[in-house]
Amino acid sequence: MEFVQNFPFLTIILALFSGPLCSVLKSKAAKWVNTIVIALILVMSVAVLLFTLQTGEAYVYRMGHFSAPWGNEIRVGVLEAFMAVFFCVVMLLCMLGGRQELAEEVEETKQNLYYVMIGLLLSSLLALIYTNDLFTAYVFVEINTISACGLIMIRQNGRAIEAATRYMIMSLLGSGLLLMGICYLYDLTGHLLMSNIKEQVAVLAETGEYHIPLLISITLMSVGLAIKSALFPFHSWVPDAYGYSTLSSSAILSSLVSKGYIFLVVKIFYRVIGFDVIRESKVINVLFVFGVMGMIFGSLSAIRESNIRRMIAWSSVAQIGYIYMGFGLGTTAGIIASLFHILSHAATKSMLFVSASGLMDVSNHDTDFFALTGSGYRNKAAGVAFTAGSLSMVGIPLFSGFISKVLFASAAYDTSGKLIPAMIALALSTLLNAIYFMKTVIRIYTPAHRANIETDSRVITVKEQPQKAVVLALFVVLNLILGLFSEPIVNMLTQGLEMFG
Amino acid sequence: MGIWILIPVFLPVIAGVLFLLPVKQEDIGDGSKESLTRLHTVTAVVLIVSAVLALLAAWTGDNTYTWFELMEGIPIYFQVDDVSRLFVTVFSIAWVLVCFYAFTYMEHEGKERRFFGFYLIVYGVLVALCFSGNLVTMYLFYELMTLTSMPMVLHSGTRESIMAALKYLFYSMCGAYLGLFAIFFLYKYCDSITFTAGGTLNLALAQGHTGILLAAVMAALIGFGAKAGMFPLHAWLPTAHPVAPAPASAVLSGIIAKAGVLSIVRVVFYIVGADFIRGTWVQTAWMTLSLLTVFMGSMLAFREKVVKKRLAYSTVSQVSYILFGLSVLSPTGMEGALLHVVFHAFIKCALFLTAGIFIYRAGLSEVDQLEGIGKKMPKTLWCFTFASLALVGIPPASGFISKWYLAQGALEANVGVFGWAGPAVLLLSALLTAGYLLSIVTNGFFPKVKSNAHTAIAAEKNSLLENSAGGTQTETSSCQVSDPLAGVTEAPLGMLIPLAIFAALSILLGVFPNPLIQFVSKIATAVM
Amino acid sequence: MNFANLLDNYEEAVAMILFVIGFSNLLLQPNLIKKIIGMNIMDTAIYLFLALKGYIEGHKAPIVTDGVQSVDAYINPIPSGLVLTGIVVSVSVSALMLSLTIRLYRRYHTLNLDEISTQIKKEGM
Repeated sequence: MEFVQNFPFLTIILALFSGPLCSVLKSKAAKWVNTIVIALILVMSVAVLLFTLQTGEAYVYRMGHFSAPWGNEIRVGVLEAFMAVFFCVVMLLCMLGGRQELAEEVEETKQNLYYVMIGLLLSSLLALIYTNDLFTAYVFVEINTISACGLIMIRQNGRAIEAATRYMIMSLLGSGLLLMGICYLYDLTGHLLMSNIKEQVAVLAETGEYHIPLLISITLMSVGLAIKSALFPFHSWVPDAYGYSTLSSSAILSSLVSKGYIFLVVKIFYRVIGFDVIRESKVINVLFVFGVMGMIFGSLSAIRESNIRRMIAWSSVAQIGYIYMGFGLGTTAGIIASLFHILSHAATKSMLFVSASGLMDVSNHDTDFFALTGSGYRNKAAGVAFTAGSLSMVGIPLFSGFISKVLFASAAYDTSGKLIPAMIALALSTLLNAIYFMKTVIRIYTPAHRANIETDSRVITVKEQPQKAVVLALFVVLNLILGLFSEPIVNMLTQGLEMFG
Repeated sequence: MGIWILIPVFLPVIAGVLFLLPVKQEDIGDGSKESLTRLHTVTAVVLIVSAVLALLAAWTGDNTYTWFELMEGIPIYFQVDDVSRLFVTVFSIAWVLVCFYAFTYMEHEGKERRFFGFYLIVYGVLVALCFSGNLVTMYLFYELMTLTSMPMVLHSGTRESIMAALKYLFYSMCGAYLGLFAIFFLYKYCDSITFTAGGTLNLALAQGHTGILLAAVMAALIGFGAKAGMFPLHAWLPTAHPVAPAPASAVLSGIIAKAGVLSIVRVVFYIVGADFIRGTWVQTAWMTLSLLTVFMGSMLAFREKVVKKRLAYSTVSQVSYILFGLSVLSPTGMEGALLHVVFHAFIKCALFLTAGIFIYRAGLSEVDQLEGIGKKMPKTLWCFTFASLALVGIPPASGFISKWYLAQGALEANVGVFGWAGPAVLLLSALLTAGYLLSIVTNGFFPKVKSNAHTAIAAEKNSLLENSAGGTQTETSSCQVSDPLAGVTEAPLGMLIPLAIFAALSILLGVFPNPLIQFVSKIATAVM
Repeated sequence: MNFANLLDNYEEAVAMILFVIGFSNLLLQPNLIKKIIGMNIMDTAIYLFLALKGYIEGHKAPIVTDGVQSVDAYINPIPSGLVLTGIVVSVSVSALMLSLTIRLYRRYHTLNLDEISTQIKKEGM
């Protein structure tokens, strides 16, 4: 066994232990420890990715002394390693981009606690990506929820705490259903390791035994994770949670936390149940319907919203809808489109949050739409990044959003009966996206003195906030990479998905 | 040549972006006199160099270049053929001339830096659009064109201009997405998405899916028709034009509307193939829509009082002439259409530039106010007259030739009732065109009441207002109206020369049309 | 469906009923404390279900005390382990929820989540 193969396990542990370490350090030290740990994990994940690409197959890493089917294990393939790399990149950028807000909005003594939460969150995300054990997945889902809740409530105002409470309640409902589903599945198959469960499920599906309990189990797990990842109609907590927490929390919550759960859905579809069985069950049709409805209603709510951060949050609801619609298509192409959209959305949404906060900085920290008039001139880096993010969301070619739309559309071809609704939903939601994002872009580039609106006259140049400007530039680059060189990435996703099951 | 194709695309885009970078909210380009001169020089040099390079790239053989693969099997691919040559030449000539006009005009609007920045960028994008070699490349630059041309509508930054820009954006995006979905469908049923004369549709694959494919083609027609101002997505034109600066209106009408035509030509004749839709409901619907637009546009223009809006409706009507010529799917019709692309581009630029001069010199934007303007600026109005005559189609001006071919094409093609209904509508619309354009000319040269025409009209208006309101206002207000044309002088040379060239082109191309006719007939025979 | 089956598996049925009671309490109760109680009922129901799955009639808890190592003597240990893990998770989640509740109560002097929302809207931030 090569040394690189230990890395997935080591990254999880490293992230996990960076948390307690940060809790005893001073804020400033904790900040650096956290940054270095994320960077280190990024490097290690890249090594793992290169290793899996080289060997071309997934490997199983045994945890502890018991081998399958009793022990606990990690399974690493191209897809997992790639997701880990991507999540680390986005997280690093989100943390760097939100540093200033963190310093302003959170008490000095509590800042190190924030890094504890980040450490926990990263480790749980990595564990969700790598684990091959369903119950371990559940435990890390809970850790993920708790740390995400911590990220929301670190900003000590009533609104954030209420948002955290609502988030917690919905998440607990979701995890209750998820756990129940897992127990059912354990009861039916007698295993907790994903690969073993799949073998047994295949036997069950062939004989037709326990058809209804299996269906119930699939439904419970899917609905549970759908609630946790804010699929319409379980999205009520999203705008508050994303809108009132500190900047890096919003960015991380929208781009990573929900994506961890979604990745678990893919895992359950492919590795636990088997995609054929999933396709036979009607669960995916339900996901399709809710995904489509999410795409439309999320955007409609975003149009009505005048608070820019809540508007971006509503747009997340719509984007999660896209991802579930891709699952609902019931084809491998659909899953790949969804996976690509996970990447695209993570890269874009965090950029939008960071740049929107940059725009608010030069508008008296006002979140109101009209206060942002002309802010694109006052903070140019943020203005450019917000424009790029909006174009990507609307699906203009050259940016990542276009590629995922093309992937969704071409995935919809191979389905029977879902082509027309998927197309209509894509078209409608694209137009709605265009309405609220373009409206905002025009607003931020309308000179305030011409629109007769009193605004903040503060100007932030790139030189004043070099770090944020660099972060935004990197986000734009990430988006362009996804938009222009999608082919190798899509190939990697396809290859990864093949060795995933 | 290969990669050289990219230079005329990137040179203006990069220069434009450099223009835009240091823009501040307060002084968007309003600088000192020297900096303004420098700006103009740089713009002119960059534009002329890239126009020359674009023309060189177009006229020196069949260049192709694959830039990179956007997705598997979908490259960003450029290819030069006769259609590209025709469009890129027209676009370049008009773009350069309007640019020189804009140097003077934009003093009056301000924020030159931003205007010329976007002006250059749009030119680069347009060249790329003309050179696009496959559907996805075309779509890419089509979208970019919408986005980069929007700030020109937005220029003044007022509330109306924002609403107009948003309207422009949504109509274009609606259209572009209809087009995109057509592209998705066509991608599945075509041998390749590279433009090939005669189409690449795989008829064996398409067997049994004809219905949905036709629906896709219709979606593309309506979608790309949005840019060309075809009913039902035409309403952005009359909103966007009055608020945009005159040079921007000129290129929006004259050039960017033609980009919609280009896209339709590409989809119909270079991907789907004319044979596939000949005789189907799509052709019928297309002809109906375009004729409807021709008629409706003329009617609305006739009733419109604001000069630029009137011209905008005229564009709606005239571009649909082109679409009608394409829709009959006969070689002659297509020749007429392509000729009209060229003529209308120059004519409409001339008309909008005149409207701009009226605004620049006298601040007049309504038709009624132009009474007697011919006395003050005879040269300008003469140019307007020539362009108007050309648009109406009075021989030997250019519009006559294209309309002749259009009517001929409709009669030749086997399209049933449209064979005579088409020419009839075209004729009717030409009469209306004469009505709405030449009325400006006659009023301009021969005002109704010789002395103080304006006071009379204003008084009349006021009394009308009072009557309708039943008000008790005294008539003092009307007496205070002085002659608005007092002190108005002839347009400055910087504006007059481009205008004169456009006017001359619109007449001369009608007098010496043969090389152009041969060229378009080559295109038409290749695709039919 | 056979009613006798339901009676045979009455333990599972009870677990399900408890789960639904807990779930609806967590979802519908406006009072935060009652929500937390609901959540605990829901979790407990799941543990009951899990424990049932591992239980074998007449066998003992899997703790080797009197030297008997035969597999037949003991119940399945894995569900018990899962229940223990689950309890740890639900304890920490309950603690977090309670701490949030305390925060909200100190600030708004009520446990009713709807009232808290109304107050926040009144604050208008």
